[in-house]
Amino acid sequence: MGDKAGVWQGTLALMVLKTLETLGPLHGYGIARRIEQTSGELLSVNYGTLYPALLKLEQEGYIDSEWGQSDNNRKAKYYRLTRAGRKQLTKEAQEWGQATSILARFLTPGEEQP
Amino acid sequence: MRNLRAWFLRLGGLFRPERPDREFSQEIESHLQMHIDDNLRSGMTPEEARRSALMRLGGIAQAEENYRDRRGIPVLETLAQDLRFAFRMLLKNPGFTVVAVLVLALGIGANTAMFSVVHAVLLKPLAYPEPDRIVTLATFWKATAHQGQVSGPDYHDWRHQSDAFESMASYNHWDTSVIAQPSSGATAEYAHHATVAAEFFKVFGMSPAVGREFSTEELKPGSAGAAIISYGFAVRHFGEASGALGKPMRISGKTLAIVGVMPLGFRFPDKTDVWIPEDAFEAGYTSRSAHNYKVVGRLRTGVALQQAQAQMTAIGTRLELKYPDSNAGKNVAVTRLRDQMVSDVRLTLYLMLAAVGVVLLIACANLANMLLAKAVGRTREIAIRAAVGAGRGRIVRQLMTESVVLALIAGALGMALAFWGSRVLVALAPADVPRLAEASIDGRVLLFALGVSLVASLLFGLAPALQVMRTDLNTALKQSVQRTGDGSLADRMRQALVVVEIALSVILVAGAGLLIKSFVALQDVSLGFQTDRVLVVETSVPASDLESARRATRFYKELLPRLRAVPGVLDAGAIGIAPGNTVSDGGYYIDHLPATLNITAPNAVFSVVAPDTFATAGIPLRGGRDFNDGDTYDAPFVAVINEALARQAFPGQDPIGHLIFCGLDSPNPMKIVGIAGNTRQYGPARELSSEIYMPYEQHPQPSTGLSLLVRTSMPPAAIITAVRERIHEASADVPAKFTTMEALASENVAAPRFRTLLLGIFAGLALCLALAGVYGVMSYVVGQRSSEIGLRMALGASQGDVVRLVLQQTLVLAGLGIVVGLGGAAVVTQLLSSILFGVKASDPLTYAAVIALLVFAALAASYIPARRAMRVDPMIALRYE
Repeated sequence: MGDKAGVWQGTLALMVLKTLETLGPLHGYGIARRIEQTSGELLSVNYGTLYPALLKLEQEGYIDSEWGQSDNNRKAKYYRLTRAGRKQLTKEAQEWGQATSILARFLTPGEEQP
Repeated sequence: MRNLRAWFLRLGGLFRPERPDREFSQEIESHLQMHIDDNLRSGMTPEEARRSALMRLGGIAQAEENYRDRRGIPVLETLAQDLRFAFRMLLKNPGFTVVAVLVLALGIGANTAMFSVVHAVLLKPLAYPEPDRIVTLATFWKATAHQGQVSGPDYHDWRHQSDAFESMASYNHWDTSVIAQPSSGATAEYAHHATVAAEFFKVFGMSPAVGREFSTEELKPGSAGAAIISYGFAVRHFGEASGALGKPMRISGKTLAIVGVMPLGFRFPDKTDVWIPEDAFEAGYTSRSAHNYKVVGRLRTGVALQQAQAQMTAIGTRLELKYPDSNAGKNVAVTRLRDQMVSDVRLTLYLMLAAVGVVLLIACANLANMLLAKAVGRTREIAIRAAVGAGRGRIVRQLMTESVVLALIAGALGMALAFWGSRVLVALAPADVPRLAEASIDGRVLLFALGVSLVASLLFGLAPALQVMRTDLNTALKQSVQRTGDGSLADRMRQALVVVEIALSVILVAGAGLLIKSFVALQDVSLGFQTDRVLVVETSVPASDLESARRATRFYKELLPRLRAVPGVLDAGAIGIAPGNTVSDGGYYIDHLPATLNITAPNAVFSVVAPDTFATAGIPLRGGRDFNDGDTYDAPFVAVINEALARQAFPGQDPIGHLIFCGLDSPNPMKIVGIAGNTRQYGPARELSSEIYMPYEQHPQPSTGLSLLVRTSMPPAAIITAVRERIHEASADVPAKFTTMEALASENVAAPRFRTLLLGIFAGLALCLALAGVYGVMSYVVGQRSSEIGLRMALGASQGDVVRLVLQQTLVLAGLGIVVGLGGAAVVTQLLSSILFGVKASDPLTYAAVIALLVFAALAASYIPARRAMRVDPMIALRYE
């Protein structure tokens, strides 16, 4: 299990894993852009946080990295989901879903039990 | 799992920081480029594209910092940084560093050395298998709570009626005459030998390294017997252990075959070299009131000491009821062997360990003081570091690192001191402290030193760290020079530390003062005999029965005149027990022997002596006559009593002419012919005992081993060779061991001397350290107040006023310290009461002297700062304001 203390960092890791699952191997810039786009530009990824988070995921063995060529022929470091990462993603997604549904029940008005 | 993997990678990151750094810059660079590419594609100008990308990326340095923190382990990296910085700081102030390290090393070294002794003597398990199961069994005298030797029949009942013990064995031990290789024509020497029962070796879980134990046959009464020897003895006399097997050896005049050699290191009891089966030669004492044995046992597995004690108490009570004449008031005490061995020295050693711990505390207080002064000087440096973003915790950590580095360097040096100090302690300590020779610096001791160093660093590092925590950044940065008065936290802390130092040294100095006074009192006690220029020669003539015992007394009768003829000899005598050795004692009866002997008869020490012994030893005759050559075995039996017995048994009467009976070897009536002066031969602190002297020729069996006393006109050592020759001319079977009366008397006070010397040294150290503390603080105070002093002088204060000002402040600190210290000393010195002689723990004179000494010393320590204050130039001091 990763660090649970920082909620933001926890969700960032989940977003990174999900992005890599959807799009396949991708560089840091691509991951950041994808997260921003998916959120409808509601989120802005702080790069100072992104790279340490990528490093952490790599140290934990959820992702791999290797240098490759980007579309416009730039040298870039590509991150790839590992098998452990895939498992972790399923697990975390499930937990996240559970957490949000519980919260939703609290926050939806008019359903209090007498 | 995942966490662990990440930690390993991060740990790895510590050791190769460059490559990933470069890689990360490349990654950021490519990130930037891709962003710019995108921006260009969306129609920005190249300049705009670049600026916007850079802005979006945010602080690269910050990103890199975050990344680096994640890659490695920040704590360890800053630790490495702190260590480097700490070393640099210590090297920058070599004077401070050297003094601090030396003070601390002395403290740690002394503690480690003392601990090595405590560890060897008190803590280390005995070197036998499952040593906790080995116990001693002793006769417990209920009236006095005293533990003593055991009678033969009691021992047999204990052994047969109990089931708490896997094995139990009686034994006894003393020096005896041995000739290791009789065929070589060697003369006899003394060896420590033990007569032991069958299960003796089993109790210790030991068996011979070479050869075998005693066979059943050899253990039987009247058998030829056999001998088992120690490894060292075998190597010394036969070259190697196996070379000794089967060889005949003469022990106490009997020839025995060596059947086994014990492993190296087994010397129980004491420093035994030869073990022989006790039943083979001793008739076996049949009296329940003759306490001639010691007993050891091994508890059965799973049996607790308390269970064994309960069972033995029940057996003891049964014996009391069954044999009231001999066993009333007598029971059994079961004690763990190790506890029994060290019971005498435990208090002394723990006291000394505590004392040396206090010395270290004072050293720490001193160091804390020095570091505080330094921390105040470094306030600006620290404030700047805080201003550029170092957290409080970070700064405190760095200061603590400096303290730990200091302590560890001192600890290493202290270890070196401890190696040496441990040896010094062993040399200084009384010779009879058990297991002292085992004291060494081993892993456990090293660990102790490390622990002490770290605790010390915490103690002295905390004060400056606290001070930093409290420092206000703004004021610190604004002030160009620290000019706090004595109201600041640091100043108050420093003064409190000095008060603590003084208080602690008062306790130690008071303790040392009491011990010194007690030791002087011991030295002042008149021993009742002459100690200088008397050579003492322990000898023993092998004998087994009355006939051979009478031959032994004839040996002495012929030897004594020859000794008197040696040039330089003034006089010669002989006594059964040299002062300080084991005694024979028992009840005595006046005028007639009662029908039934009861154990409530008054007690006296029995001594056999040769004629002229009183004159030789310098024991005065108070009345009657000395023994003479006419007091032979066939002549009427006579005795000389000492004054204590005369006072006890003949109040207001003349004892001369009365009859006296005692159970030394025969119930014959003895006519009292003389009264001798009292002696304190067992040490000045002992109670005076009643004593009966008897002529050796009339008691041949207790007189086969006598200590020859030879009074000389020159240093006794000069005639040792001549005396040895005379003895060996008379018999090759008689071993001789030489010492002097002076050495014996000195051995009696070895323990108090050791305590006094050690505590004296520790108190001296403590006092010096405390004075250094006073000096440091007063110098600092004078420095801080120099402008105030200058102002006072400008306003007309005289130099005398200024000196008085400084001394006054010293006196306040010293006074506080002394008051607190006296309170502590009043409690702590109570612990000493049991080892004090001739002085009470609350001795007012001692305390007065301690107060005077401390006040004087504190004033002396502030003399230099006071003089400096006197020389303050008002003009200069005021210009700085």
